[in-house]
Amino acid sequence: MEKEEQELWDALGKIKTPTPSKEMKTRFHAMLDTYKNEQEAKNESGLLNGATSRVFDQIKAFFTPKPAFNWAYSLALAMVFGVVGYFVGKPAGGVPQSQQVANQDKVEKLSSEVQEMKQMMMLSMLENPEATERMKAVGYTQELQTVDNQVVEALLTTLNLDPDDNVRLVTLEALLELAKNPKVREGLVLSLSKQDSPMVQVALADAMVKMQEKRSIKQFKQMLNDSNLNKSVKTKIKKTIIALS
Amino acid sequence: MNSLTDNSLMLKVKAGDLDKMGLLFERYHKPLFGFLYHSTGQRATSEDLVQTVFYRMLKYRHTFTESGEFRTWMYHLARNVLIDNAKKNNRIVYNENFTELSDKNLSESSFEKDFEKNEANEILQKSLTKLSLEHREVLVLSRFQELSYKEIAEILHTTEGNIKVKVHRAMKELKSIYMAFSC
Repeated sequence: MEKEEQELWDALGKIKTPTPSKEMKTRFHAMLDTYKNEQEAKNESGLLNGATSRVFDQIKAFFTPKPAFNWAYSLALAMVFGVVGYFVGKPAGGVPQSQQVANQDKVEKLSSEVQEMKQMMMLSMLENPEATERMKAVGYTQELQTVDNQVVEALLTTLNLDPDDNVRLVTLEALLELAKNPKVREGLVLSLSKQDSPMVQVALADAMVKMQEKRSIKQFKQMLNDSNLNKSVKTKIKKTIIALS
Repeated sequence: MNSLTDNSLMLKVKAGDLDKMGLLFERYHKPLFGFLYHSTGQRATSEDLVQTVFYRMLKYRHTFTESGEFRTWMYHLARNVLIDNAKKNNRIVYNENFTELSDKNLSESSFEKDFEKNEANEILQKSLTKLSLEHREVLVLSRFQELSYKEIAEILHTTEGNIKVKVHRAMKELKSIYMAFSC
């Protein structure tokens, strides 16, 4: 190695590495817990899933066109849909009322189970280390028929603590859809003091005007006292205060 | 001795004792962060990537074998995570936390010695981020992570001789970038 290169090599050894934040450890343990829960859930439903997937595979195989038997496939499908159509189109009077009620109960039970699964999936995806996955998780809230306190809290935590600006913005949009919920409105107002990204601060200011949330004026005034506040955010907040007054 | 313990911990993780990953995190999150930080030049991204590496270690734990060293396997996964990240972003982005130096006329500066030293360090850090990915990774692994050429060769699936050549070329490239920034 030449002298200059040797000096550079020595200098490289003196470059310091910053210490990672403490949140990294918290996030790791959250990820580990989520992963463990997912694995446990998988193991518990392993047998059931095995049986279910076999049935699905058979159904899938049946509905997959096979080039060699195109005509037979078409005929079989026509027959299947014909039979299904006949039974579906049959007047309800043909089925005993007790059976109808039982069927309806089953559908409702299934629907609520699907909701629970969606919610569980959404909550576990919010812990995913990939920002894109967390954004998807937030998007799932729109598919939930009912949003309980657990989901609201998870969304508010994401809004306040997620390291990615885009995830926080998507979460804010999702929470705005739930603005009728007083807990959501309160959480959004309190979130103002926890944001440091100008993009999110501006989006929250717009949200406050949209909700006509006058409680936010106090928070905005506190934010204006912060000397580090971005200039354009400052202007936006001043306009927002006027709009809300 | 330590690496044996690392291996035994990872084998326990592989066998389903996932909590043992917590101990490996305690041991390796800082060196791993250092590797990713010196490779990307971005602190927040590096923290995210550390999470991704540990997640992949859990997900692909079945690929860990008793015959290999845990550290080598971990850096191999970390390298793949880095490559995926670079593909996603098209390039490794220059660290906004480092002081921008390109518009400063260093030849006219008459700073105190300590300041010059810091300045030189910053130029060196910036030069490092401008190296090609191929050269940067061998330098980061050998200089910052203090891995042997043999270990690096295992991570990169190549020979020790090839790593020696790569380090030599990397230093030449680093010198020319450093000189360009310093003039």
